[in-house]
Order: sequence, then structure tokens, then C-alpha cells
Amino acid sequence: MLKIANFTLVIVTLVTASVLYSLEHVTRGHERAISKAKAELVDNAEAIKLLKAEWSSLTRPERIQKLAVQTLAMQNIAPDQFVTEAELPERLKALAPPEKPTGQGTIDDLLKKMQ
Amino acid sequence: MTFSRKCSDAMKNQNVITRNGKLAGQNRIRLLGLSYVAFFGLIGLQLTRLTVFEPEEGEANRIARQAERIPRPDIVDRNGVVLATDVSVASLFADPRKILDIEEAVELITTTLPDVDAADLRRKFLQPGRAFVWIKRQVSPEERDAVYNLGIPGVAYVNERKRVYPQGRLSSHTVGYVDVDTKGIAGIEKYLDDAGAIYTASLAEPGKPISAPAQLSMDVRVQHALVDELQQAIIKFKAAAGGGIVMDIETGEIVALASLPDFNPNAESKNFGKDQQNRMLSGVYELGSVVKAVTFAMAFDYGVINMNSKYDARFPLVIGSARINDFHAQRRVLSVPEIFTNSSNIGTAKMALDVGLEHHKEFLGRVGLLDKLVTEVPETARPLLPKRWGKLVSATAAFGHGFAVQPLQGLSVVAGILNDGKMVPPTFMQRSKDEADVLGKQIVKPAVSKNMRELFRLNATEGSASKADVIGYRVGGKTGTAEKVVRGRYSKDHRLASFIGAFPMDKPRYAILVMLDEPKPLPETYGFATSGWNAVPTAGKIIARIAPMLGIESVLTDDDRAKLEKQRKAKKS
Repeated sequence: MLKIANFTLVIVTLVTASVLYSLEHVTRGHERAISKAKAELVDNAEAIKLLKAEWSSLTRPERIQKLAVQTLAMQNIAPDQFVTEAELPERLKALAPPEKPTGQGTIDDLLKKMQ
Repeated sequence: MTFSRKCSDAMKNQNVITRNGKLAGQNRIRLLGLSYVAFFGLIGLQLTRLTVFEPEEGEANRIARQAERIPRPDIVDRNGVVLATDVSVASLFADPRKILDIEEAVELITTTLPDVDAADLRRKFLQPGRAFVWIKRQVSPEERDAVYNLGIPGVAYVNERKRVYPQGRLSSHTVGYVDVDTKGIAGIEKYLDDAGAIYTASLAEPGKPISAPAQLSMDVRVQHALVDELQQAIIKFKAAAGGGIVMDIETGEIVALASLPDFNPNAESKNFGKDQQNRMLSGVYELGSVVKAVTFAMAFDYGVINMNSKYDARFPLVIGSARINDFHAQRRVLSVPEIFTNSSNIGTAKMALDVGLEHHKEFLGRVGLLDKLVTEVPETARPLLPKRWGKLVSATAAFGHGFAVQPLQGLSVVAGILNDGKMVPPTFMQRSKDEADVLGKQIVKPAVSKNMRELFRLNATEGSASKADVIGYRVGGKTGTAEKVVRGRYSKDHRLASFIGAFPMDKPRYAILVMLDEPKPLPETYGFATSGWNAVPTAGKIIARIAPMLGIESVLTDDDRAKLEKQRKAKKS
């Protein structure tokens, strides 16, 4: 009787030990994953900061202005180019209606081809 | 018998049976057993504590965390554009003892980083017993990877923090800069460490090494327009220096502040010269006729004048041995608006004399011109005032002579006068309208403000500030051309031209100051070097660019539209 009891106890011990061990193993794995993710988070946050700084540096008004003057034929906005909402319909009427594109390569053309 | 007796004696000695019939050693064994159980129990408990429960924070850890500095917040403009941030940069180093082939290593490194001196590096690597050599500090991520991927044993990198200013020169004076230990030594950077330390701490997230950004009132777009136009004006008029401020009248927020020449806060060595100081705050200037606006407001407020009052400006004003004369002498009796638009010294001086010495001083104190203006940016100068007040001093101070203030202070007083008489202290940090209402101080009656607006607008439509009247934006302003003191005397050739204005004049929202130091006369200005010919048109150009950005709606008459159409046609042809 005592023998059987001892035997089951040993088995139970072994089983719990192995379960515990595997649990520990899995936990360690998760912990590693967490710390890796945390490190990645820090790295990414750092990268975002750097990119933001770079973005800010690249969108310096001074630089944009230089590029705009070089490549675009644009001018400063004149005060009469601002229109209030109420004036908008009048202004749109004054402008020529946009031409409807026809022929090859337009969306209508593409839609027809697809049918 | 004797044997058995001896035996029983021995037995008696060995197993002493106590009175209650138990063996004498049993207690001791039990004690031993108990100790065993306690010992292993303790080990078991400790094991469970260490493995099952969350680890407690140790004393050493806690102290280390407390000692950790509050992270330096980023600085952003009112729209969230990054003005200053900490980035992690790699610094490459090597342990020469671990490098197998020094010649090859040097060659590989110098081909990857062309700016590293090969001879110098070789010399350092070959020094006997040297265990640490910086290859290059603060390299870009690309350079770091390139060198790291060379796979030279003994070459590695560490990450260091570095403060960078992505907008460069644009933010120089306001944001300031930090020293090598990232301690703020100028501008807002200094404020974050010193006077604003509580504010800085409030930005930090408790228990975490992150911090919300410090948001300034600056708008980089407006700032750029200001700097760009000032720079062009300095070149055009061959001025020694220049400066400008754009301020929100209602909240006191400084939307843009420029002082040229400026500096690049990213520069490695930060020993900037005196010429690069912040003229708008740390310099005091005699702003000249611009100060007349203050005198007018004072005279209105004390009820000494009204819009229909008249002053005799036919003859110079003589006080003691001094004669006060007009620059554009009219030699007639002038009305109050005429005194303003003609910038008559005689008329203004007479006004101040009518107000009286005591009231004059009291008023200057009320608007804060007797004290140092304190803002977040620490580099500020105290106004320079005459030491002894007399009749002559009062008369000359009325039109800005012998009376030097930092330009920002002058602007904030004028802004207060135009803002229904409510002066809001200027700030470089973002501020809401409600906060501003609490901080605001009534310096003159609203009726006075209404008169002053009328005069400012009049001066821009037909007075000396007409070149700043941008079509549609209802600009108003006052000009000033002060002679600079050169070697203790007022010089006719060294002038300081300034313009203080606001727009839109029907409900002033933004105040603007433009200052040019020693502008030269040009053929196209007909040989004039007064403010109306240089500072004023510059202000006009600035307003034309920034008004749309600031959301000021233009109001146009048919006449204005026709003018704009004409301008457009002229440009095309």
C-alpha cells in the first residue's frame, strides 16, 4: 500500500516538475518576447523622433520656398483671390465650366472597355 | 549478581528514563527535526516568493529611478512643427587591442567615413596599451550601419543623446540652445531649465521617461515670412541689422520674432557674437516717433485732448536753452490727427507738457515702461530712462528722445492701447483667450483705444505709413526714425527706422513691429532713409504674406479690386 502511494507520489512529482519546467520555459520565452518588443518599441520611438526631426528639417519654409521658386510658376496669394462661402456660387458661374474630357484614356473610356 | 547490577547501573546511565517514562534525548531530536522543517520551509517560501510573485522594487532600483532626470521635452510650434528634439545618435569607437589587422581596419574605416583622418586614426590605434579610441562621434544611422557591417572585431558604437533644431536659423532666438550637457543656456531652452522648471516637470509623464512637448506660440510659416522679408530689406537698404515681431493682440502670444543677423543653433561651437544677440529683447532702442502713440493715448486718457484739439506748431518749442523742432515742419496750427500723421514733435511735446510731469511719469509706470518686461525668454533688457525728470525730459520723452526700450515692450504697449485699452503681457508659450483675459490689464479707456485706432488707420491711408497699407487688410501704424547715438552724440547719418502697426484696424488682431538698423538711402527712395521708405514697405510686404496665413479676411472695395487687377496686368507684361 505504502509502495503504491510512494510510487504515485514520485510520478506526481515528476509530472509536476516537467509541467513546471515547461511552463517556466514558455514564460521565459514570453518574457524574452516582451523585452524584445519593448526594445523594438524604444527603437521605433527613437526612429519616429528622428524621422519627425528630419521631416521638420525637410519642410523648412525656407527650403520649400526655394524649391517652389525654382520649379513652380506660382505667386503669393492676392487678397481678391479669397472668396467667402456666400460669394462662391457667383464666382463659380463667372469661371468657365470645366471641360469634359473625351476620347482615349478618360475614365468613361476605361469604364466602357471594362464592360 | 554484581554483573547484573553493574549492567543495570549502566543501563540507567545510558537511557535515563525521565519521570514520565520517555527517553531523555527525544526532545533534542524533535528540536532538530523542527529546525529542519523550518529551514526547508523558509527555502520553499522564498522560492515561491521569488518565482510565483512579481518581483518587488528594490531599494537600489528606486533610488536609481529617482535620480533619473526628467526627460527634456521637445519644443514645437503652435501647429506642432518640431523646433527642438532629442535624437539618439551613435558614436563609433574601437578597442585597438582586439583589432587583428590595424592597417586593414584603418583603410576600411576611412573609405567608409571619408572625413576621418587615416593617419591620425592609425597613430591612435598603434599606441601601445590603448583600449579605447573614438573613431567618430555623432554619426548618422547610415554611417553607423556601414561601419558596423564592416565586421571589424573591436569596433562598436554607443548611443548618445543629442539636441537638434530641425528648423535651424528660423527658431534661433526664441528657442535658444543647450550646451554639451543638454542644459539650456539661452531662449526657451533656458526657461525650461530655470524659471519654467515647474512647467517642464508638469509636461513629464509620471514614472515614465517620456514628456509631452512644450508648445510655443510661434508659427514657423509666419516666422519664415518675417525673416525672409527682413533679410531682403537688409540687403536692399544695406542695413546693419534688422528685427521684427508679430504678436497676437488679444492673447499676447508672440507669433513670430526675428532678429537679424541670427545664428544656427545646430552649430558645433556656440560662441555667438554680440551682433547675433536678440535685438528684440536684449537690446534697448530709442524708437523715436513710434513712442508718440503712447503720448497720444496718455493725453486722450487724461482728457487733455480730443480729436478736435489744435496745437500751434508754427514755431519751435523752446524750453530753457533747448529748441524742439519738427522734421517735416508745417509751420501752422495743427489738429490732433495732423500732429499724428505729420509726426510733429512740437505738437506732441506740448501735449505732454499739458498732461504734466507727474501724470506723464504715472502713465509710463501704468503701461509698464518704467520696469523690465519679463517673458519666458530670459535675455531681456531694462528700459533706459532719463534719471531726472524735468520739463525738457518730459517734452523730449513724449516723442521718444532719451527714452530707450526693448522693441517687444514698445510693441506690447501699443498693442494694449489698440486692444480696447487692455494690455496683455506678451508670451512665447501658447495661451488661450480665457487665460489672456485674466492676465490683461486695462491701461486706457476703451474710448481712447477707439481714437487711437482711428489715428493709426489714418496714418496708413494718408500719413507716413501709407506704404504699409496692404490692399484689403486695413493696416494701421506709426513710423519712427530715430537718430542713433554715435560716440555720445545724435548722428544724422546713423538712423534707426521702425514701424509699429496692427491689422485689421476695425478690430485689431495682430500687432507688428519692423525695425531696420542704419538703412541707407537709395536712388529709388529719392535719397531718403526715413522709416516710411524702408521699414514701412517691408512691413507691408510682411503683412501681405502673413495676413492670409493668420486667417485675416480681406475686405475689398471695387476700387481695391481694380487696383489689384491693374497690378496683376503690370506683372504679366
